[in-house]
Amino acid sequence: MHPLVSLENVHKSFGGVKALNGVTINLYPGEIVGLVGDNGAGKSTLIKMISGVLQYDEGKYIYEGKNKNIKGPLDASRLGIQTVYQDLSLCNNLDAVQNLFLGREESLPWWSGYKIKRAVCEVKAKEVLKKLRLENISLKREVGAMSGGQRQNIAIARSLLYQPKVILFDEPTAALSFSAAKKVSNIIRELSDQNLAILIVSHDIHKFIMDITDRIEVLRLGKIAGSFKTNETTGIQIVNTMVGGNENTNLSG
Amino acid sequence: MKNYSFNLRKFLIERFGDELRYFPVAFGLLLLFIFFSLQSDVFFTSRNINNLLIQSTVTGIIALGLVFVLLVGEIDLSVAATSGVASVFMSKLIVDFGFPIPIAIFLGIFFGVLIGMTSGRWVTLIGVPSFVVTLGAGMLLNGVQLLLLPRTGRYNLLNTGVDKIAATYISGFYALVLVLMTIIVYALFKIFSLRSRLKVGLSVSYLHNFFIPIGFVSFFIFGTYLFLINLKGIPMPVIIFLFLLFASSYVANNTKFGLSLYAIGNNIEGARRAGINVNRVKLLAFAIAGGFSACAGILAASRILGVSVSSGGGIGGGSLLLESIAAAVIGGVSLFGGRGKIIGALFGALIIATVSNGLNLMGVGNELKLVVTGLLLILAVSADKGLERFTNV
Repeated sequence: MHPLVSLENVHKSFGGVKALNGVTINLYPGEIVGLVGDNGAGKSTLIKMISGVLQYDEGKYIYEGKNKNIKGPLDASRLGIQTVYQDLSLCNNLDAVQNLFLGREESLPWWSGYKIKRAVCEVKAKEVLKKLRLENISLKREVGAMSGGQRQNIAIARSLLYQPKVILFDEPTAALSFSAAKKVSNIIRELSDQNLAILIVSHDIHKFIMDITDRIEVLRLGKIAGSFKTNETTGIQIVNTMVGGNENTNLSG
Repeated sequence: MKNYSFNLRKFLIERFGDELRYFPVAFGLLLLFIFFSLQSDVFFTSRNINNLLIQSTVTGIIALGLVFVLLVGEIDLSVAATSGVASVFMSKLIVDFGFPIPIAIFLGIFFGVLIGMTSGRWVTLIGVPSFVVTLGAGMLLNGVQLLLLPRTGRYNLLNTGVDKIAATYISGFYALVLVLMTIIVYALFKIFSLRSRLKVGLSVSYLHNFFIPIGFVSFFIFGTYLFLINLKGIPMPVIIFLFLLFASSYVANNTKFGLSLYAIGNNIEGARRAGINVNRVKLLAFAIAGGFSACAGILAASRILGVSVSSGGGIGGGSLLLESIAAAVIGGVSLFGGRGKIIGALFGALIIATVSNGLNLMGVGNELKLVVTGLLLILAVSADKGLERFTNV
């Protein structure tokens, strides 16, 4: 099977710092990949490159077998690559519907000053929330007044509005309670069952990454230090690969 | 019983967070009206209310434009200076160069828009805080205003035609038609949005989305009409102010541009990632503030029959600048962006005009007027803050 998205041998430097040094990563439909690494290993740089926020110095961006030139987040978004940011990128003063459609609202023509079709947006919002079994989220409440889990779910729902093929999650459970994180895990699992390719960056290796992913890529100092099938490895081995330690030493605490 | 009180609290929280957000300001205005009516027999007369409304228009229109800039989390300290220099520019075109009135007015407003766009471009391009850019722009414009004025320091606009704007009253049959048309257009707008909800199968509340808003708007517009009609009619500056208010309200509450103002004010990075052209929206907000300030300046010139050194509040913007900012803030617009409604500018401007007008009638000096206005500003913002805490539990 061909990968849906691959970055081949990509390099990226910030001034004198080499953030990525010949990294290759492949994402397949229906597979959940965990991307782990110590601080400064290059995880954020890599995820930003896939989502189009950053451009590589050298390397190849291949989508469905074709070379692509991704110049910005909108190019990636058009290919069906969506990102759920760590800070969620929500506007706290707007309600759920407004956040879901922000920047992409359906509107009447120019003579109306591009009046937003609020009713249409509301119906579509209801549909996508229903698909995620999140009917209990109030559509008209400011998201600033919602719980962390609900906000996370809205951010995920937003990435699903336009039939994505790839979803990138940046620390999706970092600020969540155990039960809220569990719910997010379930949603991610379901998305993968619908044949989406999923990449997750997370520091929560033992409870989250080991539990949810099919494959784990470990970044260390800008290079892939190891690639593991999740059911053939242990959290201890992952952590050791991350920090470059001895496999027999338990550094994970 | 316990259950009931819980529901009442929830009801209040939801309503105060939304459509009743302006209740405290409106209630404050009502209290001021009652207080001054008790203090002075003259206060609640057609003639005085007529004056009060006209007094509130210049500050109100500037505050209205300022709301757009405040919503995106910026500030424009040059609005008063813009109003001054635009009105002087217009007067120069008329008096020195013999331009026809409509063209001169158009160019005056265009000059204001251009000033706003320049400030906005500077802020977004160079990244200098708008506080600094517009503070500098204000001083610069004060200088330009002095340069444009003749040696006498004044352009007289009496009998030029500009003076007619503020002196025009719509009365009799036309006034009634105007009032009814306004209410009908507003009702049609509400019906249109209710229909679009019904069409896609969403629930609608006729009481909350139709009868209550229509009732309020009809009550106030019709009430004002009845109060003013037995004097001279509805003053043109008030009509212009209300027209700009309705148009701005529509843009801010219903359009993509309006929503992006709120989004940028709250989370600029999030707005950018959502594909909103942040710089263009900010530029437009400054342009609107500039254009509205110019309108206000021209109205002021028309009312006092000329322009001079003191047009636009004089050097530094004076009380005109302070009162315009205060009006927006008293009306519930946050200085930190993303919060507040257009209608706030109306309430704010009315409160400031009422205090000034009422205290004048009571024979109170300027010193106490400043003290009271200052206290009201702090009080209004504190009340809003308290309400925000209450509704965010």
